[in-house]
Amino acid sequence: MKLFEPIKRRAIVWVWKHTPNCADMSRLASRSLEQPLPLRTRFKMRLHYLICVWCKRYFKQLKFLHKAAPQFEDHADTLPDRGLSAEAKQRMVQRLQTAEKKSS
Amino acid sequence: MDTESKPAGGESSLAAAAPPLPTVKLSDPERWVEQHGDYLFRYALSRLRDPARAEDMVQETFLAALKGGESFEGRSAEKSWLVGILKNKLCDYYRKASRETSFTDMEFYSGEESDRFIPDGLFKDGWIHELGPLEWPSDPGASLDSQEFWKTFHDCSSKLPKNVAAVFSLREVDGVESKEICAMLNISENNLWVMLHRALMALRRCLETNWFRNEGG
Repeated sequence: MKLFEPIKRRAIVWVWKHTPNCADMSRLASRSLEQPLPLRTRFKMRLHYLICVWCKRYFKQLKFLHKAAPQFEDHADTLPDRGLSAEAKQRMVQRLQTAEKKSS
Repeated sequence: MDTESKPAGGESSLAAAAPPLPTVKLSDPERWVEQHGDYLFRYALSRLRDPARAEDMVQETFLAALKGGESFEGRSAEKSWLVGILKNKLCDYYRKASRETSFTDMEFYSGEESDRFIPDGLFKDGWIHELGPLEWPSDPGASLDSQEFWKTFHDCSSKLPKNVAAVFSLREVDGVESKEICAMLNISENNLWVMLHRALMALRRCLETNWFRNEGG
């Protein structure tokens, strides 16, 4: 197996030199969530994932965030932030009642 | 038989729960504030990070709702109707604010996690192995049912700079089209990409540190 190590290393270096670096890969990952990338770019990204488990993870995690984010609103109800103060509520009701009387 | 008794039971309990119609109309503002005020306020506060402004915006939302009230039917959707009005108000606010001061925040994270990338050599700008993204649990989706997860999500997005967070919320949470966001905030498409990228990067890192690392054990 040791015999193949230099070949493996050369293959990795070749792929590394012919694909975007990891910093660029992370930018492309963000971009790909928003719009389809050119086929050529997508192919290069695939190739990069073959040699880089970190970028592969990164992209998977980003896709997870992208899918999860819209659900945030459904859960905002139980956040620990404070709500309106009693006085603020009182003020609002009063203004609304005045506005209602004016319109009717 | 069961089918006969059910609607009857349902009707009577409905009638008992709902006050006669005219009363409902008069007490609407009070009920709105009581039932939806806190939610709308939290929503506005999370976007604006300014309690006084958030309160104003909730007030405006209720006033607009009062005016448009006749066009609204079906109370089950009342909350989403009010949230819809609030969202429009927020967009108006962003539009106005972006005309006064530039919305672009390029300072934030200008290094883009540069401390996590190899600084030089053959593998320059590759992840430093020990600092690269960790393996998350095989089913991160299970976290989505956890209230604690969403609290962490909220805390992490609160740490983003205000404008970056606004862009993130509009695009990723509300799903507003990017062209629309650019027009609203008066920013170039490229700036939008950069801000979104930085938001995603920071959020991923924060969730990994504060949630998935602990989850994964």
